[in-house]
Amino acid sequence: MESEVDGILVAAHELKAPLAVLRQLALNLPEMEQSGERMRSEMVSVSERAIKQVNDLSKIRRLEDGLFEMEPVAVRAVCDEVTKELAYLFSYNRRDLFIKYSNRSKLVTANRDLLYSVVYNFLLNAMHYSGEGTRAELIVRDFKDKVKVVIRDYGPALPMDVWREMKRGFVAKPTSIAMRPGSSGLGLYIASKFSRYMNAEVGAVRHRDGTSFYVELPASKQASLFV
Amino acid sequence: MIYVIDDDEIMADCITKACGEKNEIRIFSNAIEAVRAIDTAGTPDLIFLDILLDGPDGFTLLNELASYEDTAKIPVVVVSSLNFEERDLKAYGVVGVLDKSAMMPLEIKQYVEEYCD
Repeated sequence: MESEVDGILVAAHELKAPLAVLRQLALNLPEMEQSGERMRSEMVSVSERAIKQVNDLSKIRRLEDGLFEMEPVAVRAVCDEVTKELAYLFSYNRRDLFIKYSNRSKLVTANRDLLYSVVYNFLLNAMHYSGEGTRAELIVRDFKDKVKVVIRDYGPALPMDVWREMKRGFVAKPTSIAMRPGSSGLGLYIASKFSRYMNAEVGAVRHRDGTSFYVELPASKQASLFV
Repeated sequence: MIYVIDDDEIMADCITKACGEKNEIRIFSNAIEAVRAIDTAGTPDLIFLDILLDGPDGFTLLNELASYEDTAKIPVVVVSSLNFEERDLKAYGVVGVLDKSAMMPLEIKQYVEEYCD
């Protein structure tokens, strides 16, 4: 298992270098007319998303070394950052993002970077699999001793085998999802790994018209002073 | 004069372009060539240095530079895909760290303005 993870780490680093070059090339293109600028933005955005996934893969190796500190984290602030980062992508792909926060001040015990990646990966999936003109939803709810983040899409239903894995709370490896074309299951795998490290529960709910992915994080005992 | 030391030719060109046209820039694909150039042409005003290089790596070069009185003062900006904190490299005379996968051309320009213009 360790050598498999080390292989992923080497592959991740090998992929990161050319992606970084592509991003720099796009940033260094001379000024263009409107459609050219749009293409440049998309090139930068695509490279940055790929780099983010590669960085997440590198983090999987570091999980084993326990290098991510757990701390009180404001879920809303993390979700705000992710939605801000992905706003351009949603708009570019003509998807709406509906956001509803029902939590007021509850903090969770988590690692901020890992939680960011979990929400980012779920939202990116939702953006991909919601049809054009439809919306994805991000809902954060407070419970007595936990906070639940739900990301709902209006795409094809999640296959039974993936749903079962999610029900068990752990995706063992990236698996291509045939009913969701273009999916490698990498986002789910990363989200599942990171959630497990944070003692959070991940799961999925199948709907007739899409899927909700969720992560339940333990509420922090620390009083929330800053949100 | 600015030295850009990176074995990735395209990345070195991108850094060079971001430096602007005011300063003379020399590109090296390995640490040995860079050290030879310092011996013969004198110390540059600023170095942009990648860490994973063919042959001796960036740390070997940083140690070499730190060991001589004149080269120890050269400001070095580490440009790498590896995750480094600036504070971890302060002892080597590193004045800045840029993550190749996240840096903007403007950040490179700012270092040039600070140390060369």
